[in-house]
Amino acid sequence: MLTIGLMHYLVLSAAIFCCGIFVMITKRNAIGILIGVELVLNSVNVNFIAFDRYSQQPGFDGQITALFVIVLAAAEAAVAVAICMNLYKNINTIDVDRGDALHG
Amino acid sequence: MSNYETYLLAGVAVPFVSFFILMLFGPRIGKPLSGWLAVAAMATCCVLGTLTLVGWLGEVDSGTAAELTAAAGESQFHWADIGSVPIKVGVNLDSLTVIMFFMVTFIATWIFVFSIGYMAGHSDEVDGKSKYHRFFCYLSLFGFSMLGLVISSNLLFLFIFWELVGLCSYLLIGFYFDKKFASNAAMKAFITNRVGDFGFIFGLMMVYFFLGTLDLDGAAAAFADQYASGTGLFDPSFTINVLGWHVSGPMMATLMGIGLFCGAMGKSAQFPLQVWLPDAMAGPTPVSALIHAATMVAAGVYLVARVYRLLTPDAQLFIAGVGCITLTAMALIAIVQTDIKKCLAYSTLSQLGYMIFGLGMGAWIAALFHLMTHAFFKAMMFLGSGQVIEGCHHEQDMRKMGGLIRKMPVTGVTFLIGVLAIAGFGIPSMNLGLGGYFSKDEILAVAWDRAGIGGEGHHSDQDGHHAAASGATAFDLVSDSHEAHNGDDRVAGHALATDDADHAGVLKLMFWCALITAYVTPFYMMRCWWLTFMGKPRDQQVHDHAHESPMMYVPLVVLAIFTVVSSYALFRPLIADAAPALTDAVLVTAYDGHADDANHAKGALINLHGAHDWLFWGVGWSWAIMFLVAIVIYRNGVGLGSKLKSAFSPIATLLEKKYYFDEIYDFMFVRGCRLLASISAFWDTYVVDGIIASLTSKATERFSAFAGRGVDANIVDGVFNGMAVTAFDLSNLFRSPHTGRIRNYVLFTAGAAAVAILLLLFFDPVPDAQAILTSAGG
Repeated sequence: MLTIGLMHYLVLSAAIFCCGIFVMITKRNAIGILIGVELVLNSVNVNFIAFDRYSQQPGFDGQITALFVIVLAAAEAAVAVAICMNLYKNINTIDVDRGDALHG
Repeated sequence: MSNYETYLLAGVAVPFVSFFILMLFGPRIGKPLSGWLAVAAMATCCVLGTLTLVGWLGEVDSGTAAELTAAAGESQFHWADIGSVPIKVGVNLDSLTVIMFFMVTFIATWIFVFSIGYMAGHSDEVDGKSKYHRFFCYLSLFGFSMLGLVISSNLLFLFIFWELVGLCSYLLIGFYFDKKFASNAAMKAFITNRVGDFGFIFGLMMVYFFLGTLDLDGAAAAFADQYASGTGLFDPSFTINVLGWHVSGPMMATLMGIGLFCGAMGKSAQFPLQVWLPDAMAGPTPVSALIHAATMVAAGVYLVARVYRLLTPDAQLFIAGVGCITLTAMALIAIVQTDIKKCLAYSTLSQLGYMIFGLGMGAWIAALFHLMTHAFFKAMMFLGSGQVIEGCHHEQDMRKMGGLIRKMPVTGVTFLIGVLAIAGFGIPSMNLGLGGYFSKDEILAVAWDRAGIGGEGHHSDQDGHHAAASGATAFDLVSDSHEAHNGDDRVAGHALATDDADHAGVLKLMFWCALITAYVTPFYMMRCWWLTFMGKPRDQQVHDHAHESPMMYVPLVVLAIFTVVSSYALFRPLIADAAPALTDAVLVTAYDGHADDANHAKGALINLHGAHDWLFWGVGWSWAIMFLVAIVIYRNGVGLGSKLKSAFSPIATLLEKKYYFDEIYDFMFVRGCRLLASISAFWDTYVVDGIIASLTSKATERFSAFAGRGVDANIVDGVFNGMAVTAFDLSNLFRSPHTGRIRNYVLFTAGAAAVAILLLLFFDPVPDAQAILTSAGG
């Protein structure tokens, strides 16, 4: 019988993180990138909770931090969606490759 | 240094100070004041000149003058050496210097006063800037130069001041330089004078080379010494090869004299360099009066008088010839002039011719005496013409004047006095007359004697002691001097002295020319006066506006008084006092240079008209006859005059065209110069430029191509462009990651984080990291 340990959570978290990064890199749609960011944030949340559960003195620190991150993520999503709307307003699309006015 | 030298030197310095102040601060000193400054300076000079004159008269009376002259010669300042020849600066203190100094300062002072009145009525602005101060600035410079010329004891300094007066003349003729004719006249005067000065410099070089000094007295002494001892120029074996011609010593001496005289020909406007003086009337009238009638043009006569002891008989004959041509030819031109100033200008030329003629004929005293009297009355007449022109609103044409005597009584009367003086007004046998009566007639008397018209009998029945007898006439004195000259023991002189018999024809011709001109002079002067002041007004508009102003007629009155009371009692004896030095010169045919007679030295009036009935009546009454003729012809204006003119139209045209001298010079020199210029231009453009273009410019082009393309483009540009390209490439390199795309940034960030973690794992910078991971795994 397989015992679920800390390493499993970490691998899961790393997988989700990599998926998030992959989404952010490959997606041209701003909303898609936002989704990738959410995946990255949630992989971090998994890590927080896992480390909290498997530490020497388990408590609620990790869970509270995870909740805090969720709140931040919500706020961040609001800002990001606003940015997306402005992007659309300015260049009539939310293709981030087109929003490269700051290129060198 | 005696007081007199101090006075004279101070007198030269004062106008220079005035010139300097006016040059630097003239515009600030302002309109009337700068004029008065110049007047004050010149008046100071005049006071100094008068003090010198008065003192000097006393010295002459007490017989100490000669000592002072010698002392002044001793106390010269050693200025510099040219080669081995010392150049000494000093005051040539003798009677001639004193009298010239007084004459120049006195006339100049009153002309300066007149100038203030004259300039008040004239526009003096060019481009909105006033030239008023500049006029007086130049006048002051002229005063300085002229006085310096008069007192110079050295030919070099005389020459320097000579050039300075020429410069002043140029500046003042061209005072209205914004008018084309004035600036042309100024250039003409300057260039014509250069022609004469070329000869002058040549003469100076010969004096320096052959006589070994430029000192006036020293040169004369050396000349006499060489002659006496038969060395130098008078060495029988002396010969110089000039362009294949073998020139003997006496001939060289003659050339030297003629060279020096060339300067006088330019400055005193003698034939054939006379062309500039009539044109010089383009200058302001006070300038015409001061410079081109009274003083500067007399400088040529003064020069000849000063170098008189260096002249050989042949040179003297040449001088007399030039003077004779000038006095006759110019007097004839004056008859047809209609411009009042031009008429006076030609009369000046003619009178200068008389002076030069007199000097050439040996009438040294008479010529310089004529210079003095002429200076006063001619300056006065010019000022009078200035007053007329000013009063008639710049009308200079005598045909439009007439009847001005009622509007300008003072000017008319003073002008008449001038006319009488120049015409030789006097009552024969009564010793009564004006300046010209004595001075001009004395020149004629000497010429008469020289030409031998009096007959051999006259000569032969004189004996050497006759002159000392009381009641001797000038003619007797003159002839007697001749006898003395021939009879004295300077036998050596006869070897070289011109035998007058050889030139009897020429001498006679010259005398007759001078005599006939003595008839022409009263005619054209009376014509000028009558047309201007008498008769009916011919142009009512001119007549209505005519007026005269006190500022301008006061100088006229002063000069007129001086012309009347002048001159005979004061000038003649002093000039005669300067003459004895001439007797030292062995070669000189100075007929009236023998001033040992009591009458000369004491200044007693000498009756020139006491002998030789036909000459006495003929010359003495010439003024009256010709005045009558002029009045008869011109009493009703120009009508009869112009009829006569058309009757003799070829001659009148010749005279009006001034013998076509301007045209000839224009053809020969102006056109010639232009032809030469175009030939030079052709040569320059095609030959010189051709060579330059094919050689130099091609080489330059090659070199610059190499330097431009090779060195500059590759090396210099390469370095700088290389630096720029490197900077550009580098910045491109650093620019390229900044794509502006989010995903690239994310990739870089993630990649960098991954690399960082890998590094942490493998190189273990944090000792516990492995443990942490291990324990986490546990």
